[in-house]
Amino acid sequence: MPEIIPITGDMEWLAPIRAMAGGSNAVSAEAQAVREMAANAVRFVEQSRALFGAKAEAIARLLSLANEYQAEQATLDLSSVALAERFLHALPDDFPLPEFSVEPDGVISLDWIESCHRLFSLSMNPSGRFAYAWLDGTDKGHGVARFDGRQVPRRILEGIAAIFKNGTATLRAA
Amino acid sequence: MEPLPSGLPEIVADNEDLARFLASSSQFNSRMVKPSAFLPEPKSRETSVFRHGREPVDALWHIGDEYAAQGRTIHGAAILTAQTVRSTALAVIAGEPPPRHAAIRNWPWIESDPELLKAQQKEIAIALAGTADFFKK
Repeated sequence: MPEIIPITGDMEWLAPIRAMAGGSNAVSAEAQAVREMAANAVRFVEQSRALFGAKAEAIARLLSLANEYQAEQATLDLSSVALAERFLHALPDDFPLPEFSVEPDGVISLDWIESCHRLFSLSMNPSGRFAYAWLDGTDKGHGVARFDGRQVPRRILEGIAAIFKNGTATLRAA
Repeated sequence: MEPLPSGLPEIVADNEDLARFLASSSQFNSRMVKPSAFLPEPKSRETSVFRHGREPVDALWHIGDEYAAQGRTIHGAAILTAQTVRSTALAVIAGEPPPRHAAIRNWPWIESDPELLKAQQKEIAIALAGTADFFKK
């Protein structure tokens, strides 16, 4: 069981993840998998926050969402959650980080939202072939790109960058 | 044509408001509803909505809690007109019970390529999310 570290300052958001990692009465394989992922997330956050702060927090938010769905017994594909975590690790450090949601089939969606008219949405399909679509003013489109688990496909990086290129937001510095 | 049990006409008018209830806080942020909120259910191949606008607000949340929640918590609703949905080539069809229920149908469906199918659906869902008004409960 992971060590429980006192919560201070802006790390309060980590509390539910720590609680999740600390165990519960749930005994299903899915619950254990989420608990292990939470423990990994806590470990990751505590060990590398100085280097990867924002990305680690994004991963914690992802796992918190997974926990919420597990608690409500709503449809969630855990392999999609794992893929999303790998994708976040692979995302260049100078790229904006996404928001998360769960699609009706249980797949995690990563959304980069600059405004209601400028957004890029990417599905973490368990097959590794990621469906994506975007809206950029009057321009729109969709596509599919394969993620090998290590390198984010160029088409996806370009799509995300395009959404933020002309908007008010800027690419976040590492 | 006979009205439906709710008293509404069987044909959903273009100017009717439709409410898509949100049962996860991940389906919206402080500014808008996210595209995933509009994607169709894989089994039914449709998106469930209710023929109701923002007002009266008590009635809106009653419908959400009574008929849409299905054991989960309703966090808010996305409101858009039937015309907005139809402009994306989707259909809006009344489907009671429950009262005031309707379905968004005619989503693209490609059995042979589920990822391409999802991509096509996401493009439409983005268009719907971009035009919907979001109301937090």
